[in-house]
Amino acid sequence: MTTAPFIQCRSLTRAYRKGATVITPLRELDLDVPAGDFVALMGPSGSGKTTLLNLIAGIDRPTAGSLIIGGVDLGRLSAARLADWRAASVGYVFQLYNLVPVLTAYENVELPLLLRRMPSRERHRRVALALELTGIADRHDHYPRQLSGGQEQRVAIARAIVADPPLLVADEPTGDLDGESAAAIMSLLVRLNRELGKTLIMVTHDPRSAAHARRTLHLEKGRLVADDRPNAEAAA
Amino acid sequence: MINPRHLPLVFKQVVRHRTRTLLTVGGVAAAMFLFCAVQAMQHAVARATDGRADETTLVVYRENRFCPFTSRLPEHYERRIVAIPHVRSVVPLKIVVNNCRAGLDVITFRGVPEESVESLGLRILEGSLEAWRARGDAALVGRSLAARRGLSVGQSFDAAGVTVTVAGIVDSDAPQDQSVAYVHLPFLQRAARGGGQGIVTQFNVKVDEARHLEAVARAIDAEFRDDQEPTYTSPETAFIARAAHDVVEIVGFTRWLGWACLAAVLGLVANAIVLSVQDRVKEHAILQTLGFRSGLIAALIVLESILLSLLGGAAGAGAAAGVLAWGHFALTVEGVNIAVAADPLAAATGVGLAALLGVAAGLFPAWRASRRPIAQCFRAV
Ligand SMILES: Nc1ncnc2c1ncn2[C@@H]1O[C@H](COP(=O)(O)OP(=O)(O)O)[C@@H](O)[C@H]1O
Ligand SMILES: [Mg+2]
Repeated sequence: MTTAPFIQCRSLTRAYRKGATVITPLRELDLDVPAGDFVALMGPSGSGKTTLLNLIAGIDRPTAGSLIIGGVDLGRLSAARLADWRAASVGYVFQLYNLVPVLTAYENVELPLLLRRMPSRERHRRVALALELTGIADRHDHYPRQLSGGQEQRVAIARAIVADPPLLVADEPTGDLDGESAAAIMSLLVRLNRELGKTLIMVTHDPRSAAHARRTLHLEKGRLVADDRPNAEAAA
Repeated sequence: MINPRHLPLVFKQVVRHRTRTLLTVGGVAAAMFLFCAVQAMQHAVARATDGRADETTLVVYRENRFCPFTSRLPEHYERRIVAIPHVRSVVPLKIVVNNCRAGLDVITFRGVPEESVESLGLRILEGSLEAWRARGDAALVGRSLAARRGLSVGQSFDAAGVTVTVAGIVDSDAPQDQSVAYVHLPFLQRAARGGGQGIVTQFNVKVDEARHLEAVARAIDAEFRDDQEPTYTSPETAFIARAAHDVVEIVGFTRWLGWACLAAVLGLVANAIVLSVQDRVKEHAILQTLGFRSGLIAALIVLESILLSLLGGAAGAGAAAGVLAWGHFALTVEGVNIAVAADPLAAATGVGLAALLGVAAGLFPAWRASRRPIAQCFRAV
């Protein structure tokens, strides 16, 4: 008996109606991702990468097909339950960081923990730990506008992991950074995957970033056209 | 669903969007200030002019006259009024004002016979009755008037061509007494232009029981019907309502001003919230991505709206209460005074209404924000 994959997509389809025409950025995608895997998603602009990522992150819903993550069929959850699932199960890292501008780094990282009943001392401990882990603790009282892109992304990653979700998704997390910052962010993500065992799905245009992944998926026009596993033996 | 630990998020939004907050709160405060001032005037008029079941005071005026300058009754009517059954006491009053039109700072002199002053029920706060008795030009000044004009015992002041010396500051349960200066009747009859020995403006008549009020009024008017100066007698509240008719009408109209203020508050807060929600489409999508339920987002938006509205409401109501308390305003017209006092209940009502308007202003933007599909929000910006 084989254990079920952590992420299981079956005929996963997302279509948008735009006036009379229907756009289908994701078409009948089948995909299995085991727990702890690191998957890079590549493909030309408009190929459906973000659409797939949003479905996996539970901030969008499939039009057809099924999406089961950690044994939960996301398509069957109510909006409120899906929100609760996101809070517990997934951290999202955006290309443009998406920090809340009126909140400090510390307060941004604290946000996911505000959804949990926990002593404030414990909340503080976890936020401090996440900031420490992403190497941005010294900037905890800075506002996003006072941080560089690389620093903002560290805060965003701290926010994504503070609630300790098993799954991280990242949409071009280094797309807006210079080479040096990009490399630093990549090595941080790799550590989260290797050392903390986070399952990581990352959209990227950059082959050097993709090279860190154990597996690279190529999307084209909403379909999976290639599935490279150069480092497959590393995953176990 | 909303929890105390979420509240700091709302405070931070309000505090850290400082310009928006100051502008909105300032606007709301101005509107609520006006609303509370209007409410205070409404209450003042209602208090002064709504007939009460326990009312025992009648005012006897010259028939078909509406102004203290033209109501001229012979002082000797007093003896005939006293003789009417159920009349407990009669005080002849000569009234002189420095301004016959409506105003907020009018000085009203009331000339009373020395022996009647005891029956007015005045409480002496400063000075003494003896001092008043001792001087022909002495005045007992109502508390509000003294505060408004900064008058103290021993000081002289003049108005309407009459110069008096303050012998005491007085208070009483009768609202009229707050804003008048009581002087000796013969002194005022001599001093005032168009004065005249033996002439008074009105008689204030106390009846033994409230249920006899109407009958006594009719009996008085019947008594003088065939005299040279016939009378018109009415309960004091009705008299004030008649004398201050124009002001009462205008104040009644300001009710609409009050409603308009509330509408302005609603518009201001709704505008601020709609704009900020539009500005924060992405921010709300981020929160939802982190696992905030859409209902929680909506609740946070409504709370922010309530907080803005409450801050403005409290500031406006507080300012109105302060101004009214320090200003001791009285609407005076034709010699009757309607004291406009700070009203804690009106202030509380204002703050409560502000909170309600906050809810109303926040609901629609909150509902809209909570319905937006999350993924769309990231693409839209
Ligand atoms: N909400 C939407 N409405 C209409 N079309 C959409 C919507 N979201 C995405 N699309 C379309 O789907 C296609 C794939 O988009 P996306 O997944 O963002 O591509 P990628 O991330 O690979 O660049 C694009 O052509 C885009 O215009
Ligand atoms: Mg994309």
